[in-house]
Amino acid sequence: MRSESGALREGLEGRIREIGPADVLVGIPSYNNSRTISRVVQAVSAGLAKYFPDAKAVLVNSDGGSTDGTPEAVAGAGVDMQSILISHRVNPLQKITTPYHGIPGKGSAFRLIFELARALDVKACAVVDSDLRSITPEWMELLLRPILKEGFEYVAPYYQRHKYDGTITNSIVYPLTRALYGKRIRQPIGGEFGFSGELAGHFLSKDVWGTDVARYGIDVWMTTTAIARNSRICQAYLGAKIHDPKDPGADLSAMLAQVVGSLFSLMEEHAALWKSIVKSEPVPLFGFQYDVGLEPIAVNVDRMVGAFQLGVREFAPLWEGVLPAEDLVALKEMSRPAVPLALPESVWVRIVYDFALAAHRQMMSREHLLKSLTPLYLGRVASFIRETQESGHHEVEEKIEQLCQAFERDKPYLIERWEPSANTGAPI
Amino acid sequence: MKDIWNTAFVEPMQEFFRQVGSFLPHLLAMLLIVAIGIVVAWMISAGINRLLRTARFDQFSGRVGFTQALSKGGIREAPSHLIGRIFYWVIVLAFFMLGLSALQLPPVDRFVDQVVDYLPHLLVAATIILAGLLLANFFATAALIAAVNAQVVQARLIAQGVRVALLLLALAMALEQLGIAPNIIVAAFSISFGGAVLALAIAFGLGAKDAAKVFLEQRLKKERPKEEEFSHL
Repeated sequence: MRSESGALREGLEGRIREIGPADVLVGIPSYNNSRTISRVVQAVSAGLAKYFPDAKAVLVNSDGGSTDGTPEAVAGAGVDMQSILISHRVNPLQKITTPYHGIPGKGSAFRLIFELARALDVKACAVVDSDLRSITPEWMELLLRPILKEGFEYVAPYYQRHKYDGTITNSIVYPLTRALYGKRIRQPIGGEFGFSGELAGHFLSKDVWGTDVARYGIDVWMTTTAIARNSRICQAYLGAKIHDPKDPGADLSAMLAQVVGSLFSLMEEHAALWKSIVKSEPVPLFGFQYDVGLEPIAVNVDRMVGAFQLGVREFAPLWEGVLPAEDLVALKEMSRPAVPLALPESVWVRIVYDFALAAHRQMMSREHLLKSLTPLYLGRVASFIRETQESGHHEVEEKIEQLCQAFERDKPYLIERWEPSANTGAPI
Repeated sequence: MKDIWNTAFVEPMQEFFRQVGSFLPHLLAMLLIVAIGIVVAWMISAGINRLLRTARFDQFSGRVGFTQALSKGGIREAPSHLIGRIFYWVIVLAFFMLGLSALQLPPVDRFVDQVVDYLPHLLVAATIILAGLLLANFFATAALIAAVNAQVVQARLIAQGVRVALLLLALAMALEQLGIAPNIIVAAFSISFGGAVLALAIAFGLGAKDAAKVFLEQRLKKERPKEEEFSHL
């Protein structure tokens, strides 16, 4: 039963033999999440007991070497089933808490989860983040039932989020994924997913675990891989997504570079597919869509505008050849302190496509290129925040829909300039 | 009269033609060696040029900033072509030296020996300078991007500092390799580098001690200025 990657070690193999084949596996990647993980484990346990009482279920905590007692919190997290009106399950929930190996990151944690899913021969898997505060037992049903009962192979989450939350998703990942692959998956990098055991095996068969996929790029990679495999995909409405506040010092440019870099790498891999797709189509959405009261959040628009102005001033020479001359002139004009910043969606779409083309043509160091996108991204976010200051949830969704349509409208610009022979080497 | 004529003119002329006669084959050998060298150099440089283009070296140079560094130095040639040309001239020079030694003239032989001994140092020094240019450009861009993304207003100054420091280091190493006043070079570099670090330490510790205190307090207590509360992902 030794895994190809060597991710499953001796102790773990014994535990797998002890458990034997299972029906359902829920994976929770973690790193120093002792504050929140108990509640996540409790919600998962309650959800599995309530909605899949007869299924043999395994909970896997794939940990990145936490030092704050996260594994102990997982081991100690129990649920008083009677207090939440759930009868005891037929099969007790099996828990596996184990550190993962490889590049530190969510992707490496997922790799171990896929390995265990394959080793346990499960029918359905779900993964949930360990820093969630809004998870409920119902999430298990919403993520797993479409796989077990409806014949879907991949379930993407659908949340109601604050209008300024998930800005990388709203301004790049969702519009670009939708325009390229033709599926309107609103949260392609949501963090919570359901997928079949077979699809987990397919994910595992790909040789991507030494790339950015092993870090922040795993979510978009899973979604795109599922689309490219022509898997049956649906979305599940999970309500609000509220998680533990992230470290404010977390490097935005590294995170953005990993996500966008993964998107661009996937464009290389699936060029033939996305070039053939001309329009997008809706993806089925399950779950009752209730409105959620979301707390106001602080944003510092002036800081973003400052980052944009500094970036345009200093990076303009780097972008020569990446962005068309007229766009560079327009950006310089927008970055004048006397002018209120407004980076229109049409310019933003061109910027994203031009960066994708520059990465494809390997015009400069890939890391330098991707990290130099940060000020432009912050400029676009600042413009979006200013545009939607007075807007409600539905108006904001309308704005995002307009951006998606702009991405789809301008897709021929990308296709015309994408030379098939340009990229033969691995990105550096 | 005849003896005088023989001694004054015929014998020197005979000696001259004898020496020219014995020197001519050496000269011809030298010319032949140089001609072969030119042909070999042309073939090798063309091969290297082709190999580098196949390996997409020009694109790689563009990515790591080598092309831009050359461009800033007024060299507009494609890097693959430039390296091909460097090989061409190095090979021509090597064959020229070989040709000179074929003349079998003691002073020329001594000169050739000295040049041949020095040539490896010259090549290593040239490699150091090229690598220094490349690394200085790459790390200066990396520093610029990191500083701008951290919203440091003096980002360009930091990038220039990184570039100059790396170029100075490369220059010092190259001069040391060439044996040009090695002691002075090492001492000058150590003094300049140490001085710069000391100046920065004094500037940070004394000139900006309040800012340093706030910075360190924030770092140690993990307190940061309030920024966004939303998640980008």
